[in-house]
Amino acid sequence: MSGFIEITYDKFIFRVNKDCLYSKEGFWAHIEGRTATVGVADFKQKTMGDVAFLQTVDPGTVVRQGAPAGVIETIKTTSDILSPVSGRVTEINPNMQDSPHLINQDPHGAGWIYRIELADPKADAQGLLEAEAYCEIMKEHLSREAGKKNG
Amino acid sequence: MDKTGKVVILPCSGIGKPTGALAREIAYELAERARPEKTAMTCLPLLVIGDTDALKLVRENPVITIDGCALECARKSLEAAGAKPALTCQSVKFFLAHKELKPEGVAQLNEAGRKLAGLAADELAATVDRLANGEDA
Amino acid sequence: MEMRVKVGIVSCSGEERPEGTVCRMACRRLLEQTTDKTVTICLPLFIAGGREERTFASKYPTITVDGCEKRCAARATETLSAKPRMTLLIPEILRKRGLAVPRTRRNYGPEEEPVIRAVIEELAGAVDEVLAKA
Repeated sequence: MSGFIEITYDKFIFRVNKDCLYSKEGFWAHIEGRTATVGVADFKQKTMGDVAFLQTVDPGTVVRQGAPAGVIETIKTTSDILSPVSGRVTEINPNMQDSPHLINQDPHGAGWIYRIELADPKADAQGLLEAEAYCEIMKEHLSREAGKKNG
Repeated sequence: MDKTGKVVILPCSGIGKPTGALAREIAYELAERARPEKTAMTCLPLLVIGDTDALKLVRENPVITIDGCALECARKSLEAAGAKPALTCQSVKFFLAHKELKPEGVAQLNEAGRKLAGLAADELAATVDRLANGEDA
Repeated sequence: MEMRVKVGIVSCSGEERPEGTVCRMACRRLLEQTTDKTVTICLPLFIAGGREERTFASKYPTITVDGCEKRCAARATETLSAKPRMTLLIPEILRKRGLAVPRTRRNYGPEEEPVIRAVIEELAGAVDEVLAKA
């Protein structure tokens, strides 16, 4: 992996993996040829809170970009995992059953959620953001939050 | 209070999340209601600043750590102090087992959180009994 | 990314004593009211190696609030990061205001409210003082 961009806000350091593509909804895809690994972006995992429970589609399921591929439940909220890419899910991280908190501890490493055989990598990539562009989305969100707090 | 021969309950008391408040409340439920005669508490930061009494307490008695999240600050601080926990748990696991009781609030837990803490303490009480008898957790 | 200067509040977690609960409640309530000026530094995370907590405390001003003379928050902050700009002590605040320490460690209500408010006021004043000099 070629490294991370780090954005600091208050005491929080948000890391963005330069080797991944990101959806606006806050999920990353690491594409290698016709397969991808999918997970939750650091910014999203920090804002949604500690993951208590995770449910995904079964291996073999075909998912579309932007469509639900599972559910994440934290103390704060329950939200859909919106697949950043389209294709057939081939593998679910076996640690997610007992240790969903890996999403918080290591969102770009041990906290990966599923692997997927891609239907159309080029088409998917057009719907995703490179790391730097995702950073700008994140900064806009942080500025809006700061604007709300400062009145 | 004589703390010898007690099971030490060590919560993380994290101030950033409701689960930190929940960990703290579970500890109080155990130490003040469920098993007051068998348990003792000390302050987590005392271990880090090298307080002699606190270090002696955790090194010479079985300890249950209750962490608010996967970062496991209580467990890590205890191990850094040269002691091993007899049992580690995370307060969020009790929420998973009782999803109808969603803990909210950090300064003060909501009623659901306090009920959840009570249930968690009742579940942990059996472990306290075993440890107090010299058995494994 | 540019950020307004904020003050990190490091509260003792003081599980064993009522002063620890007073400390925690007052700090948390002030933090919830002043998110434009303050940041929570979680002491357990700070001492267990939390990179974000320690980085913030090394770059921005901090105020520590302790429940007893052992001053865990003040000592840990100075040892692990940088000297806090101000250190507050609950027993001193309560003595100054003629208030007694609560008898319990939890389930605080109207009886304990004057104590919590007194600490919040002192802390709020300290935050403004530190920001004025930042």
